[in-house]
Amino acid sequence: MTFEELVPHLLNGLSIGLLFALIALGFTLIVGVMEVINLAHGSLFALGAYLALAVYGYLEVSEFGFPTRSQYATALIVAPLGVAAVGMGIELGLRRTYGKDPLYGLLFTFGAALVLEEAIRQRWGPTERLLRAPADVSGFIELGDIFYFKYRIFASAFAVVLILLLWVLIEKTQLGAIIKAGAHDSEMVRALGINLPVLRMFVFGLGTALAGIAGIIMAPIWGVRPHMGVDAVIPAFLIVTIGGIGSFWGSVISGIMVGLTVGMVSAYATEWSILSIYILLIVVIFFRQRGLFGKASGLDK
Amino acid sequence: MTSLRSYSNDFTKMVFVFAFLATVPLWISSVGLYDYIAIEIIIWCIYAMGYNLALGYTGLPSFGHGAFFGIGAYAMAMYQVHEGGTSLWVGLLLSILAGAGAGGLSALFMSHRRGIYFALMTIAFGQVFWFVAIKKREYTNGEDGLLNLERLPVDFGIFSLDVSSNQSMYFLGLAFFMLVVLGLWTLIHSPFGYIIQSLKQNETRTWFLGYNVHLFKWISFTLSTAISGLAGGLFALTQRSAFPDVMSLHWSGIIVMMTIVGGGLVSFWGPVLGVMFYFIMRDFLGTYTSTWILWFGVSFMAVILFEPHGIAGLWMKISQRIFKMSPGHRLLPPERTLVPTPEPSNELV
Repeated sequence: MTFEELVPHLLNGLSIGLLFALIALGFTLIVGVMEVINLAHGSLFALGAYLALAVYGYLEVSEFGFPTRSQYATALIVAPLGVAAVGMGIELGLRRTYGKDPLYGLLFTFGAALVLEEAIRQRWGPTERLLRAPADVSGFIELGDIFYFKYRIFASAFAVVLILLLWVLIEKTQLGAIIKAGAHDSEMVRALGINLPVLRMFVFGLGTALAGIAGIIMAPIWGVRPHMGVDAVIPAFLIVTIGGIGSFWGSVISGIMVGLTVGMVSAYATEWSILSIYILLIVVIFFRQRGLFGKASGLDK
Repeated sequence: MTSLRSYSNDFTKMVFVFAFLATVPLWISSVGLYDYIAIEIIIWCIYAMGYNLALGYTGLPSFGHGAFFGIGAYAMAMYQVHEGGTSLWVGLLLSILAGAGAGGLSALFMSHRRGIYFALMTIAFGQVFWFVAIKKREYTNGEDGLLNLERLPVDFGIFSLDVSSNQSMYFLGLAFFMLVVLGLWTLIHSPFGYIIQSLKQNETRTWFLGYNVHLFKWISFTLSTAISGLAGGLFALTQRSAFPDVMSLHWSGIIVMMTIVGGGLVSFWGPVLGVMFYFIMRDFLGTYTSTWILWFGVSFMAVILFEPHGIAGLWMKISQRIFKMSPGHRLLPPERTLVPTPEPSNELV
């Protein structure tokens, strides 16, 4: 296979990897502050796409037409807010599990995932739906000798911008400092007079909203189906684990790494591309207990 | 804890459970359920009891056990379809060995891991096996699965029993269930059983007592997957087919839910209660609403929030209140001891 033929596969991998990294970051944010493995993250990702569909329906975007830019922007803002609201609802229930074994949080969110997926199936049906992006970012673009999907470039750029914004939020603002402190020592944060329950709820909302946004961005690539949550969340978990739970750049780097691996494998053996992530995980965890960049806990370690 | 209660109490309970289960075919149709559900329950009971050896007794939260159940089913199916095998014993032996082989191989990678990392590794391994089962079409026939299996006769040399009827299949399942329960009961009350329970409570301390905890985790996990394999083999016989669905994350999660809802964390019989609850709820609710899995999920969430020790835990609380147990007789362990804490904490000092 020549290099020109390989490039689209690598670009595909890169764009998917960046979106996975976005899901993984929301996930890792939640793990960092609440030490909860949110198994419902994937269902919230799917919910994001479905809520965007609902917004489209409300704005009267026809099923096969392209939305206008403002319609798309509306969906991109309203749907993640809806997802965040659902996420905060889950957090309300989760409060009872704080301070207990982390497995309880994991099991609770597993139940939530099952409920959400079934609710989506009941509300929107099991068939695959279509969620389009505006015409400006659809079609092809010429990159040297090859034609490539405009949308995937847009999706990658969008993901990069969001990742950078998130980094600025966590590293450069006072709120970020509080979030990091909450991840490091929640009791001390509370002692300093910060409303910890509100902080936790905000972080949970933020993390799940990221999943929702990723769902909307991913939808034109994957199509919207109830099962998309599981399809996305498992790679995202693997990315978090490979990168090291609680590590910001670990998630980003391993997201890109996983994306490129999947892209490369799919160039040669499409069927087995997903499997390559698991193999990568098993190899990494076998040698490094906490993943590539994982340290005890905390967001930036 | 189960192990702290008197043996005779446990033994009476076991006889009672076996006797109760043996009468199930006599009355099940008169309460509005059908024969087939009884077989499903008994086979999933075997599976859940095996699973609880890992989760409840060793504190290994596995989210990939469906894979080993499915591998057991495939072993039976491939033995019949590809090898033309006709011996029940060989088929079931292959199921057990396949389950144990796959489980033992995965546990080689996982026995050094704890808590959440262990759980994520089990998801990864479960998905790998599930994926291979779907993609290796020449052996597994992909998503359609291997169909048209025979319910092989139970051959004892001098005579053989036919299990093509659902009732006789139920008794075959019950026989294996009794064997598994007796085996597990003996195991849990053996020195090995106490070591795995202590490493569930605190892995580091058990290590300091001189036990190779990784080896014990490996053995416990592999035994648990062997039982899952056996259940899978019986499952393939029952529905005369083997397909990848049961290996998915969804079904691996269902077995965790059954075990926890029933109270496997605090009770030897918890998994049995959970399996019955699941199947009976599926049947009753399923007739009224197509969204029963949603309600099962909601009730599972409620169990986690309000009664993490499940049905068995609830029963213990009630009976404690009714029978006024002596204050020293604490039935329930504190909630924190579900899995070992991931970090060796300063309580070691």
